[in-house]
Amino acid sequence: MNTPAASCWHCGESLPDDPPRALVTGASHAVCCQGCRAAAEWIGQLGLADYYRLRSATAPRAPDPAEARRSAAAWQRPELSRHAVRTLADGRCEALLLVEGIRCTACVWLIERALGALDGVASVQVNAVAQRARIVWEPGRTTLAAILEALARTGYGALPLDAAGLDDARRREARAALKRLAVAGFGAMQAMMFASALYLGAASTMDPATRELMRWLGLLVATPVVFYAARPFFQGAWRALKARTLGMDVPVAIAIALIYAASVVQALAGGGEVYFDSVSMFVFFLLAGRYLELRARHRAGNLADAMAGLAPAFAERVRGDGTLERVGAAELVPGERVHVAQGMRVPADGVLDGADCRVDEALLSGESVPLRKRRGDALTGGSMVVEGPAIVVVERVGADTALAGIAALVARAQSERPRLARQGERAAARFVMRTLALAALCAAAWSFVDPARAFAATLAVLVVSCPCAFALAVPAAITRALAVLAGHGVFVVHTDAVEDLALASHAVFDKTGTLTDAHLELVAVDAADRDRALALAAALARGSRHPVAQALVRAASGLPVETAADVRTVAGGGLAGNVAGSAYRLGSPAFALDAAHGDDDAVILAGEQGVVAAFRLGERLRAGAREAVAALVASGVAVEIVSGDAAAKVADVARRLGIAQWRARQSPASKLERLRALRAGGARVLAVGDGINDGPVLAGADVAVALASGAELAQAAGDVILDGANLAALPAARAIARQTLAVLRQNQRWALAYNLVVVPPAALGLVPPWLAALGMSVSSLVVVLNALRIGRRAPAPASTPVAAAGRRRWA
Amino acid sequence: MNILVVMIPLSIVLLIGAGIAFFWAVEHDQFDDMDTPALLPLLDEPPTTDEALE
Repeated sequence: MNTPAASCWHCGESLPDDPPRALVTGASHAVCCQGCRAAAEWIGQLGLADYYRLRSATAPRAPDPAEARRSAAAWQRPELSRHAVRTLADGRCEALLLVEGIRCTACVWLIERALGALDGVASVQVNAVAQRARIVWEPGRTTLAAILEALARTGYGALPLDAAGLDDARRREARAALKRLAVAGFGAMQAMMFASALYLGAASTMDPATRELMRWLGLLVATPVVFYAARPFFQGAWRALKARTLGMDVPVAIAIALIYAASVVQALAGGGEVYFDSVSMFVFFLLAGRYLELRARHRAGNLADAMAGLAPAFAERVRGDGTLERVGAAELVPGERVHVAQGMRVPADGVLDGADCRVDEALLSGESVPLRKRRGDALTGGSMVVEGPAIVVVERVGADTALAGIAALVARAQSERPRLARQGERAAARFVMRTLALAALCAAAWSFVDPARAFAATLAVLVVSCPCAFALAVPAAITRALAVLAGHGVFVVHTDAVEDLALASHAVFDKTGTLTDAHLELVAVDAADRDRALALAAALARGSRHPVAQALVRAASGLPVETAADVRTVAGGGLAGNVAGSAYRLGSPAFALDAAHGDDDAVILAGEQGVVAAFRLGERLRAGAREAVAALVASGVAVEIVSGDAAAKVADVARRLGIAQWRARQSPASKLERLRALRAGGARVLAVGDGINDGPVLAGADVAVALASGAELAQAAGDVILDGANLAALPAARAIARQTLAVLRQNQRWALAYNLVVVPPAALGLVPPWLAALGMSVSSLVVVLNALRIGRRAPAPASTPVAAAGRRRWA
Repeated sequence: MNILVVMIPLSIVLLIGAGIAFFWAVEHDQFDDMDTPALLPLLDEPPTTDEALE
């Protein structure tokens, strides 16, 4: 953790040696970069400095002001803005922005006020969960470019989404589901009221005319429930029948239709028993389960959003005369030259032309160290230039790029994944079909014995055995499990993941970014005096931002470190300088010794008399990685690493974690191949990853766990999102999933036992309607109460601040 | 029991009214974001600085 003094006031990142200072409402604060300084001062000038007091998470690192202005200005080009802006009926314009870095409610407050202050902006609606802002403005008074610039000045990067996304399907789906739920809820309450009047009236003296009225009223309120609210079940059943399968929807739809139709016949004929309350309540319970599932699904990103954020929207095209022109990345054609500034992403696949640069491909290939690229080397679109600038000759654009290829692989793996039908649902569907058969049998038997009572007895069988307890057994347990897991910082996107998580037999981990984090750490020191050597190395390394230098400085914390003089940085070599009067060199063996050393990967500290120390650095293991792997192995899961990184690095991490199986230098396609091989061998595979290159593996696994800190694409492909930095949440989540499965089975056994007891009397015509309805409600209640036990004796929740912040965004 | 003739139609009318109100609310973005709006009023405190008052 950074102390407040050592981190940026605006974004919380660590400060450089001589930080810029921002002057906000009379006080001076240290910030990490000019972007943060401009953002903080702008927020102060707008009178919105309260933001800093109100926020519960730090702001995202602000973009460089000049850069932001250029990006925003590009949206003046009609070729770009045409797709993003929609003109409303009253002449105003509307756009939907994907805003990066909305972390807490204070961000919403800030954005709404900062943009609302802009002349011509009519309305700003920010949705923190979806990270979207919907903005309406008057075209004569302001422009999309001005709005984007204002947003950038406040410190938020934003990407206008395609105007087609304005009526996005997700919103329609959520609204339709909510309306159906409300109709079913209202209907069930009212039907229950009229039904209780009937039940009570049966015991006392209610005149037949009033009873008739109550039946008709029940019909009135249950009709919209069956024909409007329950439509998804009928549609699902119809689809399943057309595909010649028998899902859960088929028996549910048959049960709803039969009970409703029978009750209508009774109401029309007069005198018989009606079950409008049971059918409405049944629909309501089922819809409630589905609605919770839908909300969980919508909270996770979708593939389309992830794609929008992958590659940069713009490129700086180099004109014939050498000047730069900002264009949309989609406008590039092969053969053109683009300029990529340091810290920016490469807009398309191409070849480096001009000076060397270093690029970070960690998310694309799993390579943990930034790579040095020379003239003529290939650069992949989406990789970040860490040391630049780079001039790139574009070779492939759009759908031909490597990035688009990975995305396509994800989409295909996801669609090909043979979803195992949920065990619980299969059992329930089987049972419901048997009940229906039994009801038919009962009807047939009664029509021989006493046709007058056949109808009532059959209906009683249907209602008393009503698939409710069965249909609820799964959703109730799953819904409770989702809530408990969310409390642990584990967000389940696809509900079947709970079962797969509990039953997984193999776990495939990505290395870079998943088992390790972005930092290096000192693994071993080979020196006569370890502390002295570390102190000397730290003295040289203190001023450098190179990851190796920073790892050495971290390792030497607590040791007395002297000040080095005349420190020089030799690119591609290391550092040289004087400490306490003697000259030292720190870096690769070739640089420090001018000679080969037994260990080429070591970092050498050399003095005038030769080697002082050899340091071995390795990637720092993610917090909880050791515990997570150990716990998985202990519970009988075969753990394996499949990484895109070099063999030596993968072997090192595997050794430290005690993992015997590992594969290095794997492309996304070969990772997927490995997964298919495992699955072909009958394994249920749990995949854990964070990068774009893990996307296909995640999409193809039985259950995919993505890290919330990783690439959007990985999250879009994941079934489970792990929030926070600690991997130990994974075995905890597995424990809860196993408990859920146990409860689920108990629920099913209970429903089975209940039905075995009550169906025979119902079939014999011995169960009065009020008892049937009561039995149905009690059996459902038992199932729900049992589900609430999940998580009661689970391990203590990991209540880190990160998990708490994440909860707000996801739960 | 004659009171039922008034009460039952009244309850049906109220039911339909509630349904329409809920549908209206759903269509007017009231349920799109269930997390942020609840917290916003808590943050909307008066500016603390003279400069901000303008």
